[in-house]
Amino acid sequence: MKLLTNTTLKAALLVLLTIAATASVRAQDARIQTSQLDALAAKASETVDVNIDESLMQMTARFLSSKDPDEAKVKALVNGLKGIYVKSFEFESEGQYSAADLESIRVQLRGSAWSKVVNINSKKEGSIEVYLMHVAGNINGLAVLAFEPKEIMVVNIVGPVDLEKLSDLEGNFGVPVLGIEYPRAKRKN
Amino acid sequence: MKQAIASMLIVVGLMVTTPPAQAKGEGFNEVVKLIEQFYHVKHQGVPLLARAGIKTATTVARISGGPRRQIAEAGSVKVAYFEDQDFRSVAGYPQFKAQMGTALATNWSPLIQVASPKEQEQTYIYLQDAGEKFKVLVVTVEPRDACVVQVTLSPQTLAKLMQTPDEMGNLITTDATKDE
Repeated sequence: MKLLTNTTLKAALLVLLTIAATASVRAQDARIQTSQLDALAAKASETVDVNIDESLMQMTARFLSSKDPDEAKVKALVNGLKGIYVKSFEFESEGQYSAADLESIRVQLRGSAWSKVVNINSKKEGSIEVYLMHVAGNINGLAVLAFEPKEIMVVNIVGPVDLEKLSDLEGNFGVPVLGIEYPRAKRKN
Repeated sequence: MKQAIASMLIVVGLMVTTPPAQAKGEGFNEVVKLIEQFYHVKHQGVPLLARAGIKTATTVARISGGPRRQIAEAGSVKVAYFEDQDFRSVAGYPQFKAQMGTALATNWSPLIQVASPKEQEQTYIYLQDAGEKFKVLVVTVEPRDACVVQVTLSPQTLAKLMQTPDEMGNLITTDATKDE
């Protein structure tokens, strides 16, 4: 009976450890879910949905030339990235998306690994929130939530992000030009 | 003897006129069929357009070798046009997008989907890893026209196009359908 109890306890401990390990792996995954926003497409005047997954990122990095200066720059930019995901909706009128829609994104960014590094609230320019995921001292992902009365946009970059080069990524790979000055990305004049 | 020759001619004729069977999940045929069913339209095949003087890249790629570089690999282009038909739908863009996603879910990955419901314009780009090459499926739907293009690209070409995925659909469609 004692042997049975010990075996059961060991098995339970193993299950708990497996669950904990799985949760830890998930926690370190910087991919955020945006499919809950898809219902907004029915009300939007324009929608954009970009999905560049890890295999495509790796393929792009592998086949861009290191000798061509332009391609080499982009190659360095995307090397190691595991995905770029962009989703945006533009509307004809205000009030087409709700606070709950924004919250469905923010709630995923409240984990201990995420931290909000930029928070801009402007009635004229709109609001921009930038979140970084830190794992073991490294940046492992980035999320941008940008919204104004007639527009909502989510940008999610998964993988090691070099903040110094991040602004160079804007305008490439479907990443919109946001004009954000990322922390530590400020250039000396 | 005459009967044997006649039978042979019939067999050869059938081989020439019957299109090759498409594997399930091929993509191109499913999407063409989906557009026809969803919008109640009919596509025009390449021969009709070729007769009208429009050369597709299939023809061009087959005879290529000149200095102009094709985006698509030679002989890999499939094109289906829907011209001057009504692409307004009560069900609308979200439902069409969902149905296309279902049709292509097995073998294709969505790269970019752009829609302007007000302008009634939609562009979809799907990718499929085909070993050493990549298949790219571009679907464009406008108020009166639509076009489905499937091309095979080298990874080098795709890597270059990936930098501006929003322009990729236009580049591939233009390349596959332009007059020579």
